[in-house]
Amino acid sequence: MYRSVILLLLLCGSALAHDMRPTYPSWQISHIPDVKVARMELFNKRADVEWYEIGVFDVNFKPLPFVSRYSVLKIPYLTQVKFDVYVTEANSIGAEYICSISKLQASEDNRPLVSSKICSRFK
Amino acid sequence: MKKILITMSLILGVVSAHANTSITGTVESRCEVVTDISGYFGNPNAYTLTTLPASNGQIPQIRITSTLANAYKALVSYPTSFSSSPSLSNSVAFTGTVAIASASSSDMSGYAAASTVTNNGAMRTYYLTHAGTIYVTVASTAIHGGNKAFPGGQYVAVAEASCIAQ
Repeated sequence: MYRSVILLLLLCGSALAHDMRPTYPSWQISHIPDVKVARMELFNKRADVEWYEIGVFDVNFKPLPFVSRYSVLKIPYLTQVKFDVYVTEANSIGAEYICSISKLQASEDNRPLVSSKICSRFK
Repeated sequence: MKKILITMSLILGVVSAHANTSITGTVESRCEVVTDISGYFGNPNAYTLTTLPASNGQIPQIRITSTLANAYKALVSYPTSFSSSPSLSNSVAFTGTVAIASASSSDMSGYAAASTVTNNGAMRTYYLTHAGTIYVTVASTAIHGGNKAFPGGQYVAVAEASCIAQ
């Protein structure tokens, strides 16, 4: 009985989370001339979300051009995905944030859904 | 002589084994956004949709955890429009409140007073100056202009919770 209660609490506590690391990434030299790369990890603990959009932004949250495997990643529940973000050397100077934003599907009920966004910052 | 050499080598072996032991570790900050309670709208009258429990709604609760002090700020906003709805003839007025329901530490009692508001009051920013968890509620109400009845159909509004590295 105790075991099932503890398991239920654990499932409730971690069912709908979204986290991204590292908090403070850095641009590295890539194999392409004049292009920098940042390596990130995204962990999906949201059972209600499978898709996350990636974005690179300047200090005023103006989007900057970037290249990644996909700009919208499919991350199944309880899966961790590592992804690389490439920007030109010129854009890497102004880039301040890499953000992941949950993409929500239309609900069948009249529910206000919760969108989550996590941004790492270049320092 | 042999016995002395064997004894000496054993002692040296033990000493060198202790000398090479080291422990390393790193502390990495992270922020987690968790939907503890998914909200939904109640429909107390034809022209109002609200998350208030008194009107059969459910206020969503979001849990935001930061593992390192001063690494993140949390931005939470109530919806200001429907992300999907039937075609509406009148404008819809959205109101709402974002508030800390509870926190994991009494050190966080000053978060509400130190928070700032933007986006015409819809978005509240909390500065996560301590490691730990805050539980934030997002209440919202939508009223159809002119008190006209909402057409039948599906209404979806999205509350946003963000963790931005500082």
